[in-house]
Amino acid sequence: MTRSNPTRIAVALLAAGALLSTSGCGLSGGAGDAKEAERTGRVAGRITFRTLQLKPTFTAYVQGVIDAFEKQYPEAEVIWEDVPGDGYNEKLVADAQAGALPDVVNLSTDSFQLLGDRGMLADVAQLDGALAKEYVPGAWEQFKLPGRGDSVYAYPWYVTPEILTYNRELFEKAGLDPDRPPTGVEEFFDCAERIAAASGGRYSAFMADPKGRLPGDWQKMGIPILSEKQDRFTFDTDKAVEWVERMKDLYAKGAMPKESLLKSDDINQLYGGGKIVFGPGSPGFVKDIKQNAPQIYAKTQVAGAVTGKLGHIGIYAQSLGIRKDTEHLDAAAEFAKWVTNGPNQVEFSRKATIYPSNAQGLADPFFSDRGDGKDAETLARAVGADQLKTAALDANTPVQWTNQVGDAVVREMQKAIKGEQDPRTAVQKAQEAANRLLAAAAEK
Amino acid sequence: METETGLVHRTWWTPYLFLAPGLAMVTLFSLWPFVNTVILSFTDARILRGGSFVGLDNYRRAFADPDFWVATGNSVLYLAVVVPCLVLLPLALAVLVRTKIPGIGFFRSAFYTPVIASAVVVGLIWQWVLRSDGLVNTVFQRLHLVSEPVPFLTDSAMLLVSAMIVTVWKGLGYYMVFYLAALGNVPATLYEAAALDGAGPVRRFFSITVPQVKPMMLLVGTLSAISALRVFTEIYILGGESGGPGGGARTLPFLIRQVGLGFAGETGYASAISILLFLLTLVFSLLGRRLSKGDER
Repeated sequence: MTRSNPTRIAVALLAAGALLSTSGCGLSGGAGDAKEAERTGRVAGRITFRTLQLKPTFTAYVQGVIDAFEKQYPEAEVIWEDVPGDGYNEKLVADAQAGALPDVVNLSTDSFQLLGDRGMLADVAQLDGALAKEYVPGAWEQFKLPGRGDSVYAYPWYVTPEILTYNRELFEKAGLDPDRPPTGVEEFFDCAERIAAASGGRYSAFMADPKGRLPGDWQKMGIPILSEKQDRFTFDTDKAVEWVERMKDLYAKGAMPKESLLKSDDINQLYGGGKIVFGPGSPGFVKDIKQNAPQIYAKTQVAGAVTGKLGHIGIYAQSLGIRKDTEHLDAAAEFAKWVTNGPNQVEFSRKATIYPSNAQGLADPFFSDRGDGKDAETLARAVGADQLKTAALDANTPVQWTNQVGDAVVREMQKAIKGEQDPRTAVQKAQEAANRLLAAAAEK
Repeated sequence: METETGLVHRTWWTPYLFLAPGLAMVTLFSLWPFVNTVILSFTDARILRGGSFVGLDNYRRAFADPDFWVATGNSVLYLAVVVPCLVLLPLALAVLVRTKIPGIGFFRSAFYTPVIASAVVVGLIWQWVLRSDGLVNTVFQRLHLVSEPVPFLTDSAMLLVSAMIVTVWKGLGYYMVFYLAALGNVPATLYEAAALDGAGPVRRFFSITVPQVKPMMLLVGTLSAISALRVFTEIYILGGESGGPGGGARTLPFLIRQVGLGFAGETGYASAISILLFLLTLVFSLLGRRLSKGDER
């Protein structure tokens, strides 16, 4: 090897590396309002249907639903594509930019907001006036958009409610009554304090996870997140400061695993290993624990979620949106209605730990059966379904609380909880940062 | 016209024909995105909307943004610590594993193992090692070296150091192979002559090995500088998506991702930070070039 070769390679590599370090970051293009499709009264044509990570576990179920639809409407053909969860929203954005959205598309809360705001989805309330009564009110309302009247821009699909799960044995060890779980945030913190005192450092009470806890905890404490006009954040209150002070105190006392301030992805492991008292608040988790940690499952108790002053949970439904300028509006609309009808949603819920957003589906005895009241999985299903009946949108994360707002708030909270910043200053700075982001988003 | 071998004489455009596929790929996937990023950096574009021209606003915003300076400081610090380690330690390791002792092949393979392990797996393993109830803290506490767990992952400065350790650990085997190739090209006669002249192993290392592998050291320095400036995975896996408590361990690529991704992602501003990262990389590129020129003289 000559002396100059590596040098030349080095310079070339550096230039290429520098170039590549920046090249992945650009995105351009725009998407305006799409032209609206019209109904013809004929359910026919080839439509594309995109789901979020249902293959291979639910291939048979989804294909069965599609086959039955095609049998009912022989002139219609459904081309199904399933996209992995990782990068799903990014792909949706890219497709929206390229005008290549599928005719029927599975949307989460944030992707619904994004496509709905940009006028890319058909108004399903207008397509079928009698549709509203088929779904749970909270779920139906979720797909309205501010300033667009009674229009609804997606068919509600499956739902996952919030519940409370905890290790009964460790709960008792702290001198707490497992049959009287906390119902408010302050009460939850009191329990955590007693658990931390009784644990001797061997286990913790709950995950700090400020990103997961906010703004939910504040809403449950009655803290106003937004002004009445919804044009600025107003959470800088004594109550919010109190929340930070409690979190800081509990963190110092060992009520939360130290790393959970930054990450919460190991909660199943920690709960399954008896290292934490409060588990994740989802019924699906109870099933996981049953399979992976049967000993802890036997000690798991289920109750209604901590709802504080609101008294009910929020509702986050997956939905099926119809591309506004689809060429086969009738086929797309009928298909989305077919997938989200009562029987199909109940069948889906029997295969996965999810719930129907369809009122008829949710009324199925499968969701009210509490068994002998001792099996956590059965109980979780009944408790979750019960909570869904009264779920309302005011417990949902406001759309103004974007991922970036959440990150900005969480950064200040992390510093305060660690004791690197005064709680009052942290809340002030968090609100300032959140309002800056909100103003910037409104300007552009 | 056909030659005796049956091959057709090349015309003037033949080389370009061979170059075309590669050139097209580079243009499509590197040059155009780069040009696009430069353009976007002067706009207020967001994820789903092409923006309008805002001049140098994004750059002014970056210079006034404390987060940008924290990220720049962290990136430069990362480079300043990681590059010397990755230039010197793998060389020492390469010299060591060239020793002819039984079973050395095993060590060569062992040192290379972290290179083929996925960054995520490496991050997870180190997370288990460094967390407050992890291996290191348990050992430290059992030996009564510390009363409280060392906050390897929950303190911004410690998190950055932990990520640097992971980067160096993962890079050791990779760059060791580079040095093994370079050491193989050093004439054995030089060592023999030096030994005859009475030079000991240390003298031979500094007077023969180091000058002979200096061009390779430059290459390794350049490569490790690029990866240091682009570090993301280690910090993300060890410190979560906020980049350490309060985002105090964020590097420039981390900040670009945070600003530019998501449905509220500010593509224009993220592009401006990308260009600033490019310029920073260019500065180190020119520095490297100067060093190599001095070396050639």
